[in-house]
Order: sequence, then structure tokens, then C-alpha cells
Amino acid sequence: MKESLMDVLCCPMDKSELELEVDERADDEEVLAGTLVCSECGERYPIEDGIPNLLPPDMRDDVPA
Amino acid sequence: MTDLAERRGVETEVYQPAEDSALLASVAEDAVESGDRVLEVGTGSGWVAERVATETGADVVASDVNPHATRQARDRGVAAVRADLVAPFRDGAFDVVLFNPPYLPEDAAAARDDWMETALTGGEDGRAVVDPFVESVSRVLAADGYVLVLVSSLTGVDEVVELAGECGFSAVALREESYPFETLSVLKLVPA
Repeated sequence: MKESLMDVLCCPMDKSELELEVDERADDEEVLAGTLVCSECGERYPIEDGIPNLLPPDMRDDVPA
Repeated sequence: MTDLAERRGVETEVYQPAEDSALLASVAEDAVESGDRVLEVGTGSGWVAERVATETGADVVASDVNPHATRQARDRGVAAVRADLVAPFRDGAFDVVLFNPPYLPEDAAAARDDWMETALTGGEDGRAVVDPFVESVSRVLAADGYVLVLVSSLTGVDEVVELAGECGFSAVALREESYPFETLSVLKLVPA
């Protein structure tokens, strides 16, 4: 994900701002791996292969394979 | 047990573009302006989002609950987010929100319990996904923002229009196309 995407994202639970923790960037600065952390409730949302997973925690596993 | 779709090598993970996708993309291309920030909910393969971005120059974000879908959308160069409808998007963030929801009334006998079923079925009445979308989408709309949502006659256009009214929208059908078993409509929902 491009860092500019942060402008439209928020915590799915309480709609508070997210903070970006970067583990890996592509050559063009795109974030490939990292975590989005809610500044209010502290919930952590993973970024994998450049895609942030902002499903609420109770939906992360509750899906078909 | 592998089912018929899998044995025939048919896509079972991500809904691929069809008549409904083409209709929504066509209406959106006419409506969206180059400076708009657009969200496509339930993007599936990302085809509609990519077309709108390419044809209009708008800044398009695509979301889906299905990880295979967000991967396909990203592979098309679309900014992809795994999300439950509009839950992780900021208040007032988007000028236009697009949605081609799963809308087929559930057929218990044909239940598959895979990602394709998630992409196709909208519960018993076909509105299990479009209803919570209509109830929650106004929060993420900018001032003068609007929604383009595809609704089938199988889902019940009147019911969706009525719910939109209860949620503070005025609804107008921008385009309709008839097929042998259904009529597809693209509704524009504008906060009244």
C-alpha cells in the first residue's frame, strides 16, 4: 500500500486514527509489510504483500478457506 | 469433495467480471470525474475499479472481504484493502462509492460454503449484504458525495429504494438492462 492510503483509513472498530509501523518497503517506497495500530484501542492490523487487512478481529478467521 | 465447478477448472475463489460488472463500470465511467476519490466496495477481481481509474483518472480504492480478491485487485494496480464494507474508511473520505453486491437469494440446496458463494449470495432474500451497506455508507461520503449501487430484480429494487429512503437517501435509477432472468439497475443514492 502507498502511504497516502492512510488519508482514508481508520480503525474499523472505533474509527480512530491508525499509526503505521513499516517492516518492509518496495523500491518505490510502497509498504509491503507492516502493521496498522489503532491510536485509541491499540488493536493491530497486519499489512501483508502490500495489502492491509482491516477486518475487525472477530472476522479475520470466520471465513471460507 | 471437489464440486463440479472445481472439476471443470472454473474459478471458485473470485467472482470474475460479468454483465453486472460491465453495467456498473459503464455508468461509473460517465459519472466519476478526474478529481474524485472513489471507493469500490466488494471489488472482486478489481476489474471495475481498474476501469474507472483508467477511464476517468480518479483516485480509486478497492475493498473486499475475500483475500483472493484483494490480491487480484492489487495485481491490477488498484489500491486494495481487506475490509468489511465501509468499516475501516474515514468519515467523509469519498466523493463516490461503488458497489456491485452479492445479490442472489440463497439456494440452500446449492450451498457451496466457498468464496464464490460469498461473492454471489445475499442471504435468504438477496439483501443480506446490500442492506448493511446502505445503512452504513453515508458516514464515508464527502459533502456532495453519492453512491452507485447495482441492484437486480431478483433482489428487489423497490425494497432497496425503500431502505435507502429510510437511511436518508434519495434514489434514482441511472441505467437499466434486461436479461432473460433478471433486470439489472444501477441506482444513484444521494443524501437527501
